[in-house]
Amino acid sequence: MDGLISFANSVGSILTSWSAVDVVWATLLGIIVGMLPGLTATLGVALLTTLTFKMEADQAILILVCMYVGAIYGGSRSAILLNIPGTPANAATALDGFPLARAGKAGSAMAIATTGSVFGGLIGMIALAVIAPVLAEFALSFGAFEFFWLAVFGVLISGQLTSLDDPIKGWIAGFLGLFIATIGQEGIYAVPRFSYGSTDLSGGIGLLPAMVGAFGLAEILTVMRHEAFEAVRAKSDSVWSGIREAYKYKFTAIRSGLIGTLMGLIPGVGEDMGSWASYAAARQTSKNKEEFGKGSVEGLLAAESGNNAAVPGALIPVLTLAVPGSAPAAVLLAAMVIHGIRPGPLIMIESPGFVYSVVAMVFLATIAMGVLGLLLTRPLVLVLKVTRERLMPIIFVLCTVGAFAIASRTFDVWVMLFFGVFGFILRELKYPMAPLILGIVLGDILDKSLRRGLVLSDGELMQFFNRPISMVLWISALLFILLTMPSIRKLLGRLFKQKAKGGVQ
Amino acid sequence: MSHQSSMNKADFISSIILTLFGIGVVVESLRLPRLENLNVNAYTVPGIVPGFLGLFLTVAGLAIFVRSIRRGGWKLSLNKDGMRRWLGSAMVMRTAVTVVITMGYAILLFPNVPFWIATPIFIFVFVVATEAMKYGGLPDRKKLLTALVLAIIAGLLINYVFQDLFFVRLPGG
Repeated sequence: MDGLISFANSVGSILTSWSAVDVVWATLLGIIVGMLPGLTATLGVALLTTLTFKMEADQAILILVCMYVGAIYGGSRSAILLNIPGTPANAATALDGFPLARAGKAGSAMAIATTGSVFGGLIGMIALAVIAPVLAEFALSFGAFEFFWLAVFGVLISGQLTSLDDPIKGWIAGFLGLFIATIGQEGIYAVPRFSYGSTDLSGGIGLLPAMVGAFGLAEILTVMRHEAFEAVRAKSDSVWSGIREAYKYKFTAIRSGLIGTLMGLIPGVGEDMGSWASYAAARQTSKNKEEFGKGSVEGLLAAESGNNAAVPGALIPVLTLAVPGSAPAAVLLAAMVIHGIRPGPLIMIESPGFVYSVVAMVFLATIAMGVLGLLLTRPLVLVLKVTRERLMPIIFVLCTVGAFAIASRTFDVWVMLFFGVFGFILRELKYPMAPLILGIVLGDILDKSLRRGLVLSDGELMQFFNRPISMVLWISALLFILLTMPSIRKLLGRLFKQKAKGGVQ
Repeated sequence: MSHQSSMNKADFISSIILTLFGIGVVVESLRLPRLENLNVNAYTVPGIVPGFLGLFLTVAGLAIFVRSIRRGGWKLSLNKDGMRRWLGSAMVMRTAVTVVITMGYAILLFPNVPFWIATPIFIFVFVVATEAMKYGGLPDRKKLLTALVLAIIAGLLINYVFQDLFFVRLPGG
């Protein structure tokens, strides 16, 4: 009940102040950022973090949440009209959205995507309000051992799920991120590691410049490397018929919202998997499986419900464990720390109202996204007419200024450049970016937790394995690794086949 | 050449770099101070975590190395003609031009030249160079004028937003 009152108070205070204007412009900007191929939600949130760091904490976080929600939704527009997902989270959207647009149903497709995103966002928001306080209380029992395993678990799972074809590359990306986090003065004795006398390196690698590089410059290089794209020119129908069509599949939207939230909750997995997992579940349970990939309303609705539900889902571990559920959530976590908010297990004790403020922010951003998405269908299409040759240099200027603005250091611009080129090469070699970023965020937790744990147990390694929560985490991580091994999967497949044969006989 | 075959070759080369990097991290971690003079607990020495990470990277690098050899990635079959064709391809040219212009702006112009001058120059050069590659020659006068107007407006607007609205001090003067 206290939570509901805090939520209502937060909604009221935002709506009755200038913050309401922030909700509108930041969500609209988010939609535009998401629409433009080459601009991702992560980059949008990172650039806005650099612009808002002199604002009051609540106002800045509100703007960033609106950008995040708007961008994940905005990517559906380019997926539908260009067959190019605006953000990686909208890849599944393109499978059915683009065929619908080519069939002259672009308006309907955009409305279905909007309805799905609103549904998913609201389901995720309810989950955030319900799960966050419980998880925060549970996390109070976490010690060094549990945090160590949480970091390992996060990197391994994120590495695996973001690189399903080749999990080892996902894990390498994650461990590279963990290593990058160890550069600079370490947190126990203040010994500089891998700095080689450089005062800039002693301060460590900033998460924001690294992210602006990995998601900004790397994306610019990727976009410029490939051929130009053309928007679909077919006639478009009305958006209102799309809403009616989407309503027919309300249960698909609810299921996708729940799956998306769950995917968001898992560290470093986020919206991309939220979308794909929801799409796969919808396809498996659909009566019209054959329509998937050819313009299925159900498929489009599931993909968009799944990715937008993952946004509040990804905020749950951010608030309660200080572990990001996705790459944009990692930036949001960094922004919270910059503004003096301390996410983690103590959040419900130190500032319980903040969790419900974030719930209110997600709620208002989702509503604004729905309204703007439906009302501005035609004007927003104009954004896609900007050519990449004219857009990319402006994005790069924003990346450069954004990296510099955080601490007014030219060193951060170099960090951005390094991670841009490094990120581009890694992408071309099929190494995912999300585990790398999660590794940078979790590196400090892993470093301190392992060393503290070893001191507490006096070098006794068993204590890392036999505590109940640790046990769940390491067994889950181990199972995940084993299940990716082709030989183990083959063996399991053979076992199940034999069992099934035995059952039939 | 198939995509998988190119990826095997790329994996072969990158795994060697990764393995060497992992070994380097282990060696450098061992060289980090162990603070014996401060009587610190041996389990908390600064090199312990990066050492483990380096070990993992070495093992993972070796795993990819072995896999790429099994898949024939070691057969690089490099030849002059192939290299020349690859270097001259539109994809590589577009990437190279983008890298050179963006680096030139971020490393040379941004820290040394006033932002409101450096940025329009960069935007104009970028647009003209990439459009020239797209159309196979210098863009027509209308396109050049559009690029110039875009460069000036974008440069001044970004300067105003960051410096005057959000109070970010910009370098280069």
